[in-house]
Amino acid sequence: MSTSSSHIIAVIPAYNESKRIRSVVEGTSKFVDRVVVVDDGSSDDTATVAQRAGAFVVRHGENCGAGAATMTGIEAARALGAEVIVTLDADEQHDPKDIPALLQPLLSGQSDFVFANRFGQRNRIPLIRRFFNAVGNLVTFATTGRWVNDSQCGFKAFGPRAVAEVRIRMSGYEFCTELVRESVQKRWRVAQVPIKVLYSQYTLAKGQSFANGVKTALRILLRSFLR
Amino acid sequence: MLPITPYQIITPLISLLAIVYAWSLVAKQKKTIWEGGLWTLFWSAIAVIALFPDVLDWLTLVTGFKDRQNALVITFLGVLSFIVFSLIIRLEELEQRHIKMVRSMALKDAEVEKKAQ
Repeated sequence: MSTSSSHIIAVIPAYNESKRIRSVVEGTSKFVDRVVVVDDGSSDDTATVAQRAGAFVVRHGENCGAGAATMTGIEAARALGAEVIVTLDADEQHDPKDIPALLQPLLSGQSDFVFANRFGQRNRIPLIRRFFNAVGNLVTFATTGRWVNDSQCGFKAFGPRAVAEVRIRMSGYEFCTELVRESVQKRWRVAQVPIKVLYSQYTLAKGQSFANGVKTALRILLRSFLR
Repeated sequence: MLPITPYQIITPLISLLAIVYAWSLVAKQKKTIWEGGLWTLFWSAIAVIALFPDVLDWLTLVTGFKDRQNALVITFLGVLSFIVFSLIIRLEELEQRHIKMVRSMALKDAEVEKKAQ
């Protein structure tokens, strides 16, 4: 696969992110051919702001969850001819400057799917976040049999094979674990790349609550057993 | 040696069928090898308990249930939980259908196909 001919599309699921989506879209546009923003039923101007910033916007009529919005973005990207897809969060947590590093294993043909790893380099991550992520990693390992250092990170990259084969069925945050399962089931070659993470009061406040985390873990375990 | 009851014949057979079915799903790539392993463990445990009921005595000792009757009640609670969880999964399937509709409407409204050209 040649680097120059690859059609790279970024998918950004967004819910009520009108204050931050512009900078995320503008920052991401520098590293990809096109940016697709999925407005997941926001009650603010997220879609309008994203469109003005140059993104291709797909709007959910109502809030369906991060997993559902990501899959909608992937379907839109496929239809737009994407060969490589990068997904990232809309809350400025991820630095778009990490996109080239994330794409490198795909463009060199070494991997089909890349996980970003917020714990792979020195990042100021609150202890409680580290704890939740460790629990997420353990639940993911218990249900998929694959250990991923940062299984719950929304920053990921899909190579041509993964773009063609991926199918996310989980609507909420548990889609991150489902993607690990997809990588096991479909035997994708995976890589893990250390990235920077930018936590602010806003991103911390927007994160999952403990109750949500427990609910997500239970859903993952149940689904993997009853599937 | 105690005579073997019909329950002790039927249950291991059902377990065996369930294990074969789970691995057929693995072969069709609908389940992962890991999930196949989890199911094998689960159904093997059911078969072992049916074939060697004395295992329950050991379980009661380990878990603190005072007698087999208590263990039976707990087992049925487990079965009920399984049914509730199945209903949850069914509800999620309905949710997925709903999401599919929202998605197809969103992609249609965005005129993705047109913009791709």
